[in-house]
Amino acid sequence: MADYSIWVLEYCYVSKYHKSGVLYGAHNQGYVKLPYCYVVIKGRDHVAMVDVGYNDKAYGKVLGDRFGVENWRDPKAVLAEIGLSPADVDTCFISHAHFDHFGNVEDFPKAKFYIQEREISKWVWAMSLPDRMRWMMVAVDPGDIVRGVGLAAEKRLVTVDGAMEDVLPGIDLHSAPDSHTWGSMWVTVRNDGQKQSQDAWVLAGDLVYQFDNLKSSGAVVDVDTMYTPVGLAVGSQTNLILATEEMMSQVGYEARRVIPIHEEGLRDAFPSRISKDGLRVTEICLADGENSKVA
Amino acid sequence: MTEPDLFTRLAATHKPDCLLSLDGPLPEAVPDPEELGRTLGSDAVAAYAGACRTIYEDLRRVIGQLSGLLILARLTNKTEMGDLPEMAQCRARWNEAGQRLAALFPPAGLQRHKAQLNGAHVFSGHVIAAARDLRRGSDMDAQLDLMTVQIKRAYAHLEAASAPKAGLQMVDFTHACCACAH
Repeated sequence: MADYSIWVLEYCYVSKYHKSGVLYGAHNQGYVKLPYCYVVIKGRDHVAMVDVGYNDKAYGKVLGDRFGVENWRDPKAVLAEIGLSPADVDTCFISHAHFDHFGNVEDFPKAKFYIQEREISKWVWAMSLPDRMRWMMVAVDPGDIVRGVGLAAEKRLVTVDGAMEDVLPGIDLHSAPDSHTWGSMWVTVRNDGQKQSQDAWVLAGDLVYQFDNLKSSGAVVDVDTMYTPVGLAVGSQTNLILATEEMMSQVGYEARRVIPIHEEGLRDAFPSRISKDGLRVTEICLADGENSKVA
Repeated sequence: MTEPDLFTRLAATHKPDCLLSLDGPLPEAVPDPEELGRTLGSDAVAAYAGACRTIYEDLRRVIGQLSGLLILARLTNKTEMGDLPEMAQCRARWNEAGQRLAALFPPAGLQRHKAQLNGAHVFSGHVIAAARDLRRGSDMDAQLDLMTVQIKRAYAHLEAASAPKAGLQMVDFTHACCACAH
């Protein structure tokens, strides 16, 4: 029995991303493709998303010109690939406030947004620091926070302090403070609805970029495999590793159940197809009675 | 002069939460320094763009901070926003931006660009002033509603003054997910 279907939807990509950004310490190891994706969780009574991408009107030209981000598509086109529209989405879990995750709230007019309180409060603190500490403000757009003000006014923004069980039935939020960002969050779907789930999926946000973060060579410390954190952390790599351990424990250490959203290799682990726009649709699991969108 | 009819009045009147409902010069697309510099090739334009950077960055931070504080004030229903140490830093930064703006003299063709920076400064200043007066009570929601419109307006002005190649941009992409080697 499965309550929710889960899809990872690519909405643009960078063809050549330096591997050291993905995998801590992987210097001079070339480039990997970095897809940008969000996740759709569809149940009987709810359509939820993990992150909402960014708005090309605001960032598109800069990203395209300077950083090689290609083939951005509107959520309307991306969600249509699985038979949904942005107006169908009632809940959005924002894993963190970076522009490519929180930068398109306006395209989801009926959704309520959940974000960690710490992600907002530490941002306010970081903004107050001297210019020489500006690194800590990287990748966050004040415009996204401004739009958050509007959501709060409309009572469509919920700040969460730490973990939150059953935010929707069988869906939990977990925090990873001072890791990739100040208040990063991951989402756990217990797809059998059980407290001790045998069918759990972890939607990792940017706490894990790719499967290599979960399982990379441990030769340097004389073990077969080990966790290696992502390259970017305003908190610490230690906290990333601790969060990874907790995520893995929630899925019984079955690495394929921790879903990274910047991972091209999802195509090797799950059924998928390329849309007419050249973007990948990956089907993580299907609820009872749901039809495949990639067959 | 005759009064406009009902339809015209309704069609032309902004909703209370519309950021264009506030008085003052409107946010508008303006020639950016980079564009004018290319056209005019002027040292004065380059100097102006350089002088704008600190002001732009100060205002970017002020707007970001105020927005975060407004979210927290709205969600916690607490009125102490104006007393927080972060607000004191924000106010100091806003004052510095004001002094720099007063000393900024745009070359020909860039007055409208400076007007957008001014707009961002003025409207973020309204929010700072309102934060000092924010008091718990029946009108707190109304106060926050007005501050919400003001901060959106401030952001719209700053966005209009953005010029990425001149270093006036909202997001620092240097270490972002997209910061690949180009």
